[in-house]
Amino acid sequence: MVQDSLVLITLLAPAVLVGGVVTSGYRPFALVGSLLWRYRWTNLVFIALIAVSVGLGVGLTAQERGLRQGTARAADKFDLIVSAPGSEITMLFAAVYLQPSDVPLLDGATYDEISSNETVGLAAPIAYGDSFDSFPVIGTTPQFVEHLSGSLAEGHMFTRVGEAVVGAAVELPLAAHFIPAHGSGEEAEHEAHAGAETAIVGRMTPTGSPWDKAILVPVEAVWEVHGLANGHAPERELQIGPPFDPAYFPGTPAVMVHADALWANYALKSEFTTDKTMAFFPGAVLSRLHGLMGDVRQIMSLMAVVTQVLVTAGVLTGLVVLTRLFSRRLALLRAIGAPGRFVFAVVWSYAATLIAGGALIGLGAGYVATGIISREISRRTDILVQSGLAWPEYHLIAGFVSLTLLLALVPAFLALNRPVIPDLRS
Amino acid sequence: MAGLPLEVRNLTVTGSQARILVRADVLSIAPGEAIGIRGPSGAGKSTLLYALAGLHPTACGGIRWGGADLVALGEGERTRFRREHVGMVFQDFLLFEELTAAGNAGLAAAFGSKREVASIRDRAGAVLERLGIREARRNVDSFSGGERQRVAIARALANDPSIILADEPTASLDRETADRMISDLLDLARSGGKTLIAVSHDRALLDRMDRCIDVIDGCLREGAGIA
Repeated sequence: MVQDSLVLITLLAPAVLVGGVVTSGYRPFALVGSLLWRYRWTNLVFIALIAVSVGLGVGLTAQERGLRQGTARAADKFDLIVSAPGSEITMLFAAVYLQPSDVPLLDGATYDEISSNETVGLAAPIAYGDSFDSFPVIGTTPQFVEHLSGSLAEGHMFTRVGEAVVGAAVELPLAAHFIPAHGSGEEAEHEAHAGAETAIVGRMTPTGSPWDKAILVPVEAVWEVHGLANGHAPERELQIGPPFDPAYFPGTPAVMVHADALWANYALKSEFTTDKTMAFFPGAVLSRLHGLMGDVRQIMSLMAVVTQVLVTAGVLTGLVVLTRLFSRRLALLRAIGAPGRFVFAVVWSYAATLIAGGALIGLGAGYVATGIISREISRRTDILVQSGLAWPEYHLIAGFVSLTLLLALVPAFLALNRPVIPDLRS
Repeated sequence: MAGLPLEVRNLTVTGSQARILVRADVLSIAPGEAIGIRGPSGAGKSTLLYALAGLHPTACGGIRWGGADLVALGEGERTRFRREHVGMVFQDFLLFEELTAAGNAGLAAAFGSKREVASIRDRAGAVLERLGIREARRNVDSFSGGERQRVAIARALANDPSIILADEPTASLDRETADRMISDLLDLARSGGKTLIAVSHDRALLDRMDRCIDVIDGCLREGAGIA
């Protein structure tokens, strides 16, 4: 925070310095106020132009950061994913963001190898493919639900096939019953699992991820409803959760692995990166994706800055024209003995007020727009995106204000060089 | 501040393409005199007035107010001379509409030194009151023409100048208001011993000046009697 504050002060320093030097010893503000009020409608147009360009720039950077943080937060609970070899990004979207796709399954022997590793604290199968309404139905273990949600918001954990825990945003009450459909979306087969009636017994706390709109059932239920073994030997067929019997383990697209020690996660990744399995850190894959977005963001940020500077150049050009509107009054000031620096201060302060006012309004507009867009993105993606203004935006605005206040010296110089008598008599 | 004497020698003011706008070989004005400048439109009357204020950058020759030769001074020094010694009244008042009467009259306080601020504002308020402007805190955009010109006169006198230069001060006023303004202006100038020079077509104003100068085709005829 100290460093960010220092950067902010450094960025604003030129503008403050110029303002101090230009206006020191004088009291131009009542005069500036009268001119601002006199041409208020024209001034509002200038302020609006500046506000829009600033708001765009601020909104862009804040939104990108919110999106990046939101996606990272959604993946926070997923330490290590083990799956069959393939695309890490595909598995990331499937296992973390519940965008399923057809992938090979890991067999019981592989799962057993993972779960019996002494450094593994949690090895949860994640089986997807079914849905109810628009909510994906995911088969997993009670331990994974606890890992994801902590304590439940209401109700209790599922203890048998036929029970489910829902995400915080699933619009079904406790004790409601449903029958999952095979597949999802328009191609879902609603009659495929008739008889697999399931009761909702618990609700997770919000996770800020697509899992808030998921229905979690015992992985055993997913296997059974597809006519497969339920992961346990017959003498333990009513058991829910690990340990599973490899011979009765039908397979799972992904296993979410959590080791208590950080070093152990790295060791597990190395151990399970083979020709039969793929292990990756969702966070690392996300970082690579964000890195790609970051390059695009930098280009777009540069474009936003260039846009702001161009708008400001346009505004300053307009100010040069606008100062002609009150050139007669400036000539009056010089005629009655106002020093050149005072006239300079009046024009510069006038421009500075428009620029600073526009920047402040743009900051507010960017904040409001970012909030609205974030809510819409959250609604559409189920990823909690919370965009707010932070130091990068404050630095952007400070740099913009400083640069344009320096540029505002130009119309002031030009006003000072206007001939007095023609303006007096115009 | 008491009036300054004026001595003009071989003054030439040129315009674009070196065209001579005004020529004055000799012009002398005693301190505290009230002088009218008259002549046909376009003769160079206002050009002469602005040159006497040090506003014409192309003036050459000699314009000596007391000990100060305006032609020899730099731009900054001429500006300072006007700030300290000259009060100007214009034809159409040239007020800041969104400022109050007090704000307009005390305009010089915005760029005066800190120790001058209070005295400028006090003097402006006193002149406003003497001129009958009671609502000094009202914006001038609601004032009549006569009231605005009185505010303009108060502005011209707020820095206690020794010279008052007026360019067609009654041109925008009706007869009755103009007559009252003439009385106010002359009273204030003469009571302070200030040198007053007014460009005007108004016979009523010119009749009350100490003497008049004719400007015809850019040339002065100094010492001409009142016609």
